[in-house]
Amino acid sequence: MLLRNFIFFFLIFLIGCGKEDNIHHYKDYIFGTIVDIKIHGETKKKSTQISNLIFDDFQRLHSYLHPWEESLISQMNHSLSQKEKFIVDDNEIIRIIQENKELAKKSNGYFNPAIGKLIAMWGFHDEIATQSIPTSYQLESFMENIPVMENIIISDNEIISKNINFQLDLGGYAKGYALDRAKKILENNGISNALINIGGNIIAIGKRGEKNWVIGIQHPRKPTAIATIDLLPGWSIGTSGDYQRYFVVSGKRYSHLIDPTTGYPATNSQSSTIMIPPSNKSGVLSDVYSKPLFIAPKDKKINIAQKLLIDFYMVILNDGQIMISDEMNKSINWVESQDEETVTIY
Amino acid sequence: MKKLLLFIKQAKVGDLLIIIFALGVIIYMISKSWNVPNGKYLKIEMYDNQIKFFSINQSRKQKIPGLLGNSEISIDNGKARFAKSPCSKKYCIHHGWVSKVNQTIVCLPNQIAISITDGNEIYDSINY
Repeated sequence: MLLRNFIFFFLIFLIGCGKEDNIHHYKDYIFGTIVDIKIHGETKKKSTQISNLIFDDFQRLHSYLHPWEESLISQMNHSLSQKEKFIVDDNEIIRIIQENKELAKKSNGYFNPAIGKLIAMWGFHDEIATQSIPTSYQLESFMENIPVMENIIISDNEIISKNINFQLDLGGYAKGYALDRAKKILENNGISNALINIGGNIIAIGKRGEKNWVIGIQHPRKPTAIATIDLLPGWSIGTSGDYQRYFVVSGKRYSHLIDPTTGYPATNSQSSTIMIPPSNKSGVLSDVYSKPLFIAPKDKKINIAQKLLIDFYMVILNDGQIMISDEMNKSINWVESQDEETVTIY
Repeated sequence: MKKLLLFIKQAKVGDLLIIIFALGVIIYMISKSWNVPNGKYLKIEMYDNQIKFFSINQSRKQKIPGLLGNSEISIDNGKARFAKSPCSKKYCIHHGWVSKVNQTIVCLPNQIAISITDGNEIYDSINY
């Protein structure tokens, strides 16, 4: 009897040590960054199967949209740079280009995926950014004939460019596009609770059991989160920051976020974070629209946010001041207390 | 005591092995939890099931609404405690400071729990 009691209490003790966690977690390295998938409330077999479907799709997109490795886009860029027409029998790429035309137009030119050549001049067409500062002559001659999305004309399956400098770089769009596709894959396979993170761009599908998915927002200058926020079902969050891809020369930081209006890396912000409500473009918008908010000068950021209908945003300026929308401020949980003087609510 | 002596007398080798194994596991787990590191974040669980996290390495007083009213949590560079509470017995305040991972103080009347974490659980994913 005593032994039975002992075993009973021992088992209770072991159960107490256990942690209830019905989440399957998968990681891979695609798009030059870490892709992280969490699936809640499904069997391991199904979670593994569906996450592999998503990873396969991301691999396909990577080799399809990559701006400088062998891909459909790099083939197109090569043809256009030779003043040749590019024949493409692929509706998906036509849709993507059309969508990028619309997004670039809406963003007052602060999102410009046509400047792949300029990004390469700055050394950011390498897995690890090379320290490459173009000469002012190179920059001036490029900026005199800066390419825009309107420079390419699509008729049926033919693409031509009216600007020799045009080189499509979907680095500011592809991860968001992949998130929206992952959402569809999950929905089509009956997965209702998951969290997909592609290099910091995140979409929430459903919830984590009873609770919302919680996202940490990286501090741009510390190795910790500056805040956490609940990412509601279907919402996406995206950040553009100067701390992931950059190089430093003579104490000056050159980030991969190039201002298309000047040709130089934007320097007025450390990071911009936005949240986009559920839609079939939520992922794309969270990826794309964080760029104009990062790049635009301080006095134009609010106008850009209003024009792009971004209600939830937070921009950390280069002096550490924080511009945050009222909606974002109400949802965010600061991990460290912020001085009232540091935070301005709009 | 008599029962225990009787049990020891009647115990077989298998019974003793089970007990020694179980005691070994318990001692190992307790010793493991003894050497816990200092935490990085304070987790506050509120009566409405909301959870908030705060860096523990700051000096801050935070009002937290509870079932009876506001409790005040004091964070002081590496440790945290209940500083004020509307509950009658004030056990939560008398508990003092917590600083090690998994140390917890629960104020049952006001339905607020504070605990120290190492940061692994403060979010599901990081946006960067």
